[in-house]
Amino acid sequence: MVCEMAESAREREGDESGGSDEYEYVTLTSAEVLEKLEEAWQNERFAPELLEHKTEVVDCVLEQIKEMEENLSHVGRGDFVAGIHRLELDRVQYVLRSYLRTRLEKIERHVLHVLEQEADGSSSSRLSPEELVFAKEYADNMEAHLQSLVLQHMPSNLQKLDHSKAVSRPNMDSYVFVRAVERTEQVNVDPHSADNVGY
Amino acid sequence: MEPAEVEFLAEKEQITIVPNFSENKLYLISGEFGPFNPSMQTRVPLWLAINLRQRQKCHIVPPDWLNVDYLTEKKSEEAAESFFTAMPSPNYMEVSSLVLNNAAEDVPKADEVRTLVKDIWDLRQAKLKKGVDQMISQQETFAKLDNLTLMEMNCIRPFLTAALDHLHLLHNHATSYTSSQAD
Amino acid sequence: MTRTVNILDLGARCLGEKALELVRELKRSQDGNLPPYNEDGIRQVVEEMRALFEQNQLEVRATTDGERGLLSGIQLRHACLERNQRCLLAYVHHRMTRIRDYRWQTGSVLPPSFRLSLCEQEIQWFTHYNRSLATYMRSIAPTGLDLTQHLQPPKSLLVEVRCLEDYGEFEMEDGTVVLLHKNTQHYLPRSQCEPLIRQGVLEHIH
Repeated sequence: MVCEMAESAREREGDESGGSDEYEYVTLTSAEVLEKLEEAWQNERFAPELLEHKTEVVDCVLEQIKEMEENLSHVGRGDFVAGIHRLELDRVQYVLRSYLRTRLEKIERHVLHVLEQEADGSSSSRLSPEELVFAKEYADNMEAHLQSLVLQHMPSNLQKLDHSKAVSRPNMDSYVFVRAVERTEQVNVDPHSADNVGY
Repeated sequence: MEPAEVEFLAEKEQITIVPNFSENKLYLISGEFGPFNPSMQTRVPLWLAINLRQRQKCHIVPPDWLNVDYLTEKKSEEAAESFFTAMPSPNYMEVSSLVLNNAAEDVPKADEVRTLVKDIWDLRQAKLKKGVDQMISQQETFAKLDNLTLMEMNCIRPFLTAALDHLHLLHNHATSYTSSQAD
Repeated sequence: MTRTVNILDLGARCLGEKALELVRELKRSQDGNLPPYNEDGIRQVVEEMRALFEQNQLEVRATTDGERGLLSGIQLRHACLERNQRCLLAYVHHRMTRIRDYRWQTGSVLPPSFRLSLCEQEIQWFTHYNRSLATYMRSIAPTGLDLTQHLQPPKSLLVEVRCLEDYGEFEMEDGTVVLLHKNTQHYLPRSQCEPLIRQGVLEHIH
């Protein structure tokens, strides 16, 4: 099974330092797509903030799941080989759903911050279109809730939420484990970089 | 990450099995495996190996480090070094647990092997705790943790990151307090 | 004419104590059930805030009229007002997250026992959240993707069992058929043989 994906030259060379953002279509094997999903999943699990959504990887994986399930539906349920395929499918389903779930949790936890970031057009969008809809609904639901139960009963000067103070934001100074991928001569150890230091 | 998730990742590692059945090549999403012939060794991911072993469709060939000789030497090495030594597998703990729990008969001197693995784990945990203590008491901003496995990292991660985050918070408050005092 | 509200009218209780009590009540219940919505407690905090606010309004007016020495009182009350607001928001917000967790752990239907702990607005919040989540899950894949499934990594939990009697054919969930003859041994998925173990047909080995 193969999958076509748009990938920027930047991504392919692992160079995040900028440069042109040209995209070209690359063909990946199913194993490579799965690797990408697992990588995205791990990164999302460990990062305190919401990362960029890997929509294309998700779509590719969904395609593969669909294809596999279709193939399996033609095979008898007791088939030995089919059983093995199902075991693997379970694993893929888990990673995919955990990835999307983790993102939803982060969106909910820092919804106002996430929406602020999206509205600020300076950085690229991190939410998928569907996540954006969900985020807005969550924010509206939450604000209406706080309004009806608390804010409308407050004295007049305390009826609005001061976003600069009240918004929950991911802890970007949170410590993370980092693995050096390449040997470098020297790493400038700033309280906010290098091994096991602030993000 | 939950330990179950760390183990899940570890199950991708490949291991050698000796099947007792015949089957053509398997075209899984994660790759091609097989063909399978009785008494012919082949490599498959751990999750598949364990499942097949549980159904008694194969025997597992223990990895070349999962034996008394290798582990005895490893244990001495670990005890002698103050840093973490390189482990034969980044998932040594999960691999040994899974193999020993599901295919003990395939591992010579399984009990001894089990004890040795645990001893090595304990030695490394002790080093880790000592390192964490030092990091906190001396307020170091970073620590070199070469050769630490994900499972080991995971055990300490919640505590360590929470403790360091707190320290960082206190540090920030202290510096902003002193600088406002200076005004 | 506005009545001067004496802070002592609120009783000898410490300012902000009731608000803190609300937060503490939630913290205590972290591992257990969600306590019922404390409408009474909220009302008391709101009343305290109203009294503080009125007093402040009086004193601010007095200050602009020239009276002195009132500023620290005004600041103290304002700090207390902000703190109370924060506690109330934290209380409601935290309950909201607990109700959200409930959706993920249990399901989209609120059982009566849980419903009793929620106020009307909280039930409404849950309904909206449910709907929003359902919309999202439907939209991410052609046939929808239920994210509340597959919450744990898959584990093949097979157990070794011995058959104690001639049971005959047993069809598994995946369609394979196992012949359960007396004294035969099998490796079967734990969840599927539990009933048979309970019935005494199978026996768990070691």
